[in-house]
Amino acid sequence: MHRRDFFKTSLVASAALLGTAASAGTTKQPIDSQVISTVAFPEKRPLITYSDRPPILETPRDAFTTAITPNNEFFVRWHSPKIPTHTYLKGYRISVNGLVEKNLSLSLDHLKKDYEQVEITAVLQCGGNSRSAFIPTTSGIQWGSGAMGCATWKGVRLKDILKRAGLSSDAHWINFSGADTPAFHKAPKLIRELKINEISDDMIVAYEMNGEDLPFLNGYPVRLVIPGDYSDSWIKMLSNITVTKEYKSLYYMDTAYRIPDNECECETEDDLFEKTKPITTMNIKSLIGYPTSNSIINVDANVVARGVAFDSGHGIKDVLISVNGGRTWESATLGDELSLHAFREFRFAFRLKEKGPITIMAKAINNLGEEQPYPEAIKWNHGGYKYNGIDSVTIDVV
Amino acid sequence: MIKKLILPAMLMLSSLHADYNQKVKLPTISFPMVADENFRAMQRNCQWCHSYGYIINQGKQSRKFWHKSVVKMREVYKAPITEEDEKLVTDYLFKYYGNSKLK
Repeated sequence: MHRRDFFKTSLVASAALLGTAASAGTTKQPIDSQVISTVAFPEKRPLITYSDRPPILETPRDAFTTAITPNNEFFVRWHSPKIPTHTYLKGYRISVNGLVEKNLSLSLDHLKKDYEQVEITAVLQCGGNSRSAFIPTTSGIQWGSGAMGCATWKGVRLKDILKRAGLSSDAHWINFSGADTPAFHKAPKLIRELKINEISDDMIVAYEMNGEDLPFLNGYPVRLVIPGDYSDSWIKMLSNITVTKEYKSLYYMDTAYRIPDNECECETEDDLFEKTKPITTMNIKSLIGYPTSNSIINVDANVVARGVAFDSGHGIKDVLISVNGGRTWESATLGDELSLHAFREFRFAFRLKEKGPITIMAKAINNLGEEQPYPEAIKWNHGGYKYNGIDSVTIDVV
Repeated sequence: MIKKLILPAMLMLSSLHADYNQKVKLPTISFPMVADENFRAMQRNCQWCHSYGYIINQGKQSRKFWHKSVVKMREVYKAPITEEDEKLVTDYLFKYYGNSKLK
């Protein structure tokens, strides 16, 4: 039998066997892996490790007690297997080309000496963070909740670079790509496009992260920083900026990183919503960093739960905590607002009077009044993007 | 005492930050896979682009899920997967990482 026929037959057979597999799609709490690798990557402490090539590392839950995620705990996600492992800084250039009056070839020295230096503290989060929450399983890394972090990024404004190059009057789009490449040259390169009129003052080309050079795995020597947006456009090892007139159809723009363009941003496996839109803006989310399921909590002990909350830049107004599985909620104490785009720390002191398992939950509310939904209220999408359910941690009180 | 500890740690960190004039050595992790008669098809097709970690991380899935993934690797990422290997790789994935459902 020809193998194509084999698949046709087996699919028909399976449909006959199972009837129509009506999988509505749902969500649950994402996995909460505490499995830390024994292997450390350069400039990183051992993290939750999904792949070595390309490197994919998740930050463990207990890192999310502070507004700034340390560089050595910051998550890592590359797409292409070929990442230059040797960066000769003196020769490193970012090429600015296309519909500009003057092509630029920028070295790190140019960035540091010829432009105004700016800093912004902002959250970097993968659009697929918490993907393991979606059932049925969607294709892609089955992240727990640690594909995110918050850092103070230092660099120069993207606008200032474009101003120096001089945009042509018919310039409408900008393509960004890095020095990493796919295994096969016909495979799509990770190129992202931004609309010129959407470029704001806080988008920067950054070379520093929390006061240090960017770690190699976070995009050394320079990466794009786009506060409020998911990480898909935060191009690492930025090496090329091309200004164009027309939007270019690209795999990583038109197929990947898209969600259903309907109000619930939802669909089912058997009935995918045809019209899609880019994931772009982050929604409101919080995470409990302490306690974790590993913590030992004694009856009647004073406990201070800690965690972080953020949104796309409207700012966090309140974080509500429940220490009885969602029956009652109280406001946590919020830490300083480092920036509207930063993690906002929260703390909540409590005592538990009884032994046994107890679920602690956190729900963030922003200045627009938007709040995190219960996990079960979040509907499925084919890419497993944008999960932001109320966080919960179950501990055993002893 | 603390100062004594911090200084070597900082030196270690800063040596990593020097221009990367030395190649950055990324560690290799071995993701255990069953070596049966179809494993060679896995070896010759999957590792061009990614580690086996991708497969393990995806969890147990249906035959349709794995077949779609194999086809995506060829059509999107241009892995040179022959029609024969398409079946061998799908069989392998479904055998060891299958959820016993065809779709």
